[in-house]
Amino acid sequence: MRDFLTTVLVTLVSTPALAQMGNPAGFAPDTRMEEPGVPAAHQTNNQDRLFAQLAAVGGLAEVDLAKLAATKATDSRVKEFAQAMVDDHSDANSRLKALADAAKIPLPDKLDADHKAMRQKLDAAEGQAFDVAYIRSQIIAHQKTAQLLAWEIGSGEDAQLQQYSAATLPAVMKHLRMAQDIASALTGQASREIVAAKHN
Amino acid sequence: MSPLKLMALACIMSASAASLAAYSDPLPPDLTYRPLPTQPLSSVRANDEAQKPKVMKRQQDLLNKRYDLADKPIPDASMSGGQKKVQDGVRVRLPDGVTWDTLASMSPTEIRDKNLLPEGFRPLPHVKQATGGQVFPQKAIDEIGKQENRDLKRFDVDFDLPDHLTPEFPPPIFLTTHPELGDVSRGELLTIKNFYEYMNGIITPVQMEGLRLLLTPFPQEEFNQTEDRKVAQQSMGVACLDCHANFHTNGAFHLTPDVRPQAARFRLDSTSLRGMFNQQIHGSKRSLRSIEDFTEFEQRTAYFNGDHVSATRKGVNLPDRPNQVAMMAQMQNIIDFSPAPKLDLMGKLDPAKASEQELAGERVFMGKGRCGECHLPQTSFLDNNMHDLKLERFYNIGYTANDQVAIADGPIKTFTLRGIKDSPPYLHDGRLLTLADTVEFFNLVLGVKLSQDERDSLVAYMLTL
Repeated sequence: MRDFLTTVLVTLVSTPALAQMGNPAGFAPDTRMEEPGVPAAHQTNNQDRLFAQLAAVGGLAEVDLAKLAATKATDSRVKEFAQAMVDDHSDANSRLKALADAAKIPLPDKLDADHKAMRQKLDAAEGQAFDVAYIRSQIIAHQKTAQLLAWEIGSGEDAQLQQYSAATLPAVMKHLRMAQDIASALTGQASREIVAAKHN
Repeated sequence: MSPLKLMALACIMSASAASLAAYSDPLPPDLTYRPLPTQPLSSVRANDEAQKPKVMKRQQDLLNKRYDLADKPIPDASMSGGQKKVQDGVRVRLPDGVTWDTLASMSPTEIRDKNLLPEGFRPLPHVKQATGGQVFPQKAIDEIGKQENRDLKRFDVDFDLPDHLTPEFPPPIFLTTHPELGDVSRGELLTIKNFYEYMNGIITPVQMEGLRLLLTPFPQEEFNQTEDRKVAQQSMGVACLDCHANFHTNGAFHLTPDVRPQAARFRLDSTSLRGMFNQQIHGSKRSLRSIEDFTEFEQRTAYFNGDHVSATRKGVNLPDRPNQVAMMAQMQNIIDFSPAPKLDLMGKLDPAKASEQELAGERVFMGKGRCGECHLPQTSFLDNNMHDLKLERFYNIGYTANDQVAIADGPIKTFTLRGIKDSPPYLHDGRLLTLADTVEFFNLVLGVKLSQDERDSLVAYMLTL
């Protein structure tokens, strides 16, 4: 799973800046252009800025909850999943931070109310109940992150943030499938996959 | 109130504030609804026009990478109006190192893990996914411009497929009420200007009024009078039959109204309205149960992307259900399939008329190929159901191609195969260019491992439908 960041970086480096073709109806009126129709590097619109902030707080929470789960979980699959989340999201968070800094977007440095409430709920749970609560929280978190990334791909203006989103989304989909498979194993919850996925 | 009670109330209030916060989803406000434009038309248009050459080149590069787009007709196979040849051969390009047979011998998981699913089998992006909307082929733009002086040309994008890979234009029209007349189109495109003259005397007053409404332009997401449009001048809008040309299709495409966010919406290839009288479910995703429902609601879906708020802003036309909708539906319900002289009354090939290869194709269709399990000959090659092909067994979802995020397609309705040679490209999004492509696609998806002879016979069979 460590190849996730490599994939992101390779994609970001190898994809030309013009790969994204935003919808000009969503450009901000003060958009600086590199050439007509092409926003300058690190030029952001409202969606880019909101995306960076929401993705950053989601990333912080991923690492925070995963560190808790890596020690507290009882099931080995949940522990492994949690460790993978610590690794992957720490890397992704640093990359997002670099792009946000370049675009001068201030990022949150602590959890928001939604994630604090989730943390409290997990602090209070023990044993198998903790495992189930954590993995279910991960299903929801990855569903929401997938939505957020797809939204940035369609609505953003900063090509590098859009490329970051495009490069990150397959991994998020993979994590979602992993969480669904673990939830299925823990609870008998139905999993839609009909052929076992290869997780790497 | 006593201080103690006040304190208790304050505690309750802060507790409920905390629990409310726990249920507030920090997601963006415009994930579902269409955002309002942020700039005047002049700025948006200047940027769109500046982007257009790159947008079109990017899409052409994607198409050329996925497909062989050459003009290679089958010499003796024409579409029903006799104006255009049907295109030959498999056009989807194979990844390096595999053949169609080696691919068909691999498991879905192996194909996924080795990333070997041909790109032409995957979801086909809109030419400009971030904007989406209706895009008309040049022939339709020219003809509507000539007859009605109405502009269907967008300033941000052009149609992306070559003309020889789209349906003949204008296509013939066959009426269930007048089988003896054959094609009643006179070789022309029906428009608001000519429909009365052409149909006078062969349809009823109720059908005529329905036809008038189906040809009347109404405001649409990209064609309207606001600054949020993609046509240079203020537009009267589009008509139903602008895409469903002569009740068939001209290949105009759109994005599905049924999926969000924008990047995940799949492309829609306009479907033919022929044989509407036997089609029981409508819309690739919505499974609306009557053509009346579909006709009524399209003013908010095909016209406005399934966003009734945007529709209200731009001037939606909501047809009156008991009168207008009923008449529009009655007109659509008298449009017949194109003739299939080799089929008997139950949709089976007549051995006296069909060739050996066509008969062999029918046997594969009904047997080993498993096509007939959904495309039932007796019910116009339909089962009036939706099915999930679970194509994501073959590839990892979540990648982005030309700004479209590939997610799983999920269940899609079964489309009829009657007259199928007349309506390329194929599948709901038009990702398959020829009938031979559809055979390779389903050979893989269904895992039926057909021989080359069997695959060729299936193509020959489908040409008879």
